[in-house]
Amino acid sequence: MSKGRAKENRPGLLRASLNPWLVRVEDHPERLAFVLHRVTGVIIIAYLLLHIIVTNTPARAGWEAWDQLMEQFGTNIVNQVGEFIVAGSVLFHGMNGIRLLLAEFFGVCIGRPEKPKPPYIPPTYRACQRQLLYLIFAVWPILWVFAGLLIFGVF
Amino acid sequence: MVGIDPKAATRTPPKTVVFRVKRYNPKSGREWWQEYKVETHRGMTVLDALLKIKEEKDHTVVMRYSCRMGVCGSCGMVINGVPRLACQTQIAEVADEGNPVVTVEPLYNFPVVRDLLTDFTDFFEKHRSVKPYLLRKDREEQEEPRGQYLVSPEEHALMYEFTLCISCGLCYAACPVAAIDPDYLGPQALGYLFRYVIDPRDEEWQMRLMIADSEHGCHKCHYAATCSMVCPKVVDPAQAIQRLRSLLFKYKLGLWRKKKTAPLSEKPKDWKPRKPLPPEAQLVSPDVDLERLESEPVTVEVDGKRVELRYTIYD
Repeated sequence: MSKGRAKENRPGLLRASLNPWLVRVEDHPERLAFVLHRVTGVIIIAYLLLHIIVTNTPARAGWEAWDQLMEQFGTNIVNQVGEFIVAGSVLFHGMNGIRLLLAEFFGVCIGRPEKPKPPYIPPTYRACQRQLLYLIFAVWPILWVFAGLLIFGVF
Repeated sequence: MVGIDPKAATRTPPKTVVFRVKRYNPKSGREWWQEYKVETHRGMTVLDALLKIKEEKDHTVVMRYSCRMGVCGSCGMVINGVPRLACQTQIAEVADEGNPVVTVEPLYNFPVVRDLLTDFTDFFEKHRSVKPYLLRKDREEQEEPRGQYLVSPEEHALMYEFTLCISCGLCYAACPVAAIDPDYLGPQALGYLFRYVIDPRDEEWQMRLMIADSEHGCHKCHYAATCSMVCPKVVDPAQAIQRLRSLLFKYKLGLWRKKKTAPLSEKPKDWKPRKPLPPEAQLVSPDVDLERLESEPVTVEVDGKRVELRYTIYD
């Protein structure tokens, strides 16, 4: 077998990474969840790196600079919007992560093998992982709005 | 799920449908979209329309097809953005009066040979790498069977769904992970692997779990579950991979092992040793050592270079 992308005419990395958007299947929240899980994961990693750099400030520039920075965070609108996005990402990634852990490690909520019969819907889509996903899509905006109220200092 | 609409054949598609076919010429490396207008009739499938194009309009369009009834799995292509079998897709299902356009592309994630024809070599190598056949500890008995392996209907029902796979490659084309990682075994191979792990007649389940536990094995799956959505035979590979992972997780913690394997039935009274096939019925000549073929990698020459056709857990 040819390893990696060495083979002639194999789609390049750029084209391959478009696959999640190219395949247009209707009524498929799992795929949307997959895309959101990846995007939020990237946001969380970026935040983590920034967080490490920022918490290094006292060692780099002293405690005065740290205090100044912390004052800024409470008032600067750019920081607040960034925090809002990170809060939404963490909320979705965490909740969807619980669903994925249940399905992948414990094999629950994924249906049972059965003989295919009309209307030919695979057990995966009739299992409770889908209800869990709908629940996540319902709870996520509410929690996110609540987090926004806290971040923008309405309370 | 997708493409299983029994009522679609009773609807009448638009009179004229525009087919946008993605073309590729390997000699010049040119890629382009070509449009054909096709007169349709009720019950016409996308494969019928493509063959009509080939017969009446442009005989240079290349595709692969064989049985025309969704059994062989040759005519997989991406129709209106969804991997489907062209022979099972009614035009009435994908086109309507408001938008009488059908786009046809080669399967994603596969190297394109020409136009709609894709190269399945790697796909079948991955299928081969999971050893998709029964393996018993007693190899001699397997070669010279003295009876049947006894399987109860309940045990059979658990694995029956996963035996329906026709290797059409639609799940592989829809998989976003196979797009990023070309070495990923893919839903088809992993589904097959799971089918043999839970098969009560199979005894080499530990080796199979090791194949699944490799870098490009079942841990790469991210449960986008599109494989089950596009499967024309409702095989549900997404469930198979998640079950495989949970089994592997439990096995690594020492909480799971295959408890029971199918026992051998009693030796039938009229049992006779297996007769060797006559030379004209043998697929390979008697000089070929099948056991060595199985253990050795296959090497082929591509452009003067020797390429190893093998997928193992050890490299």
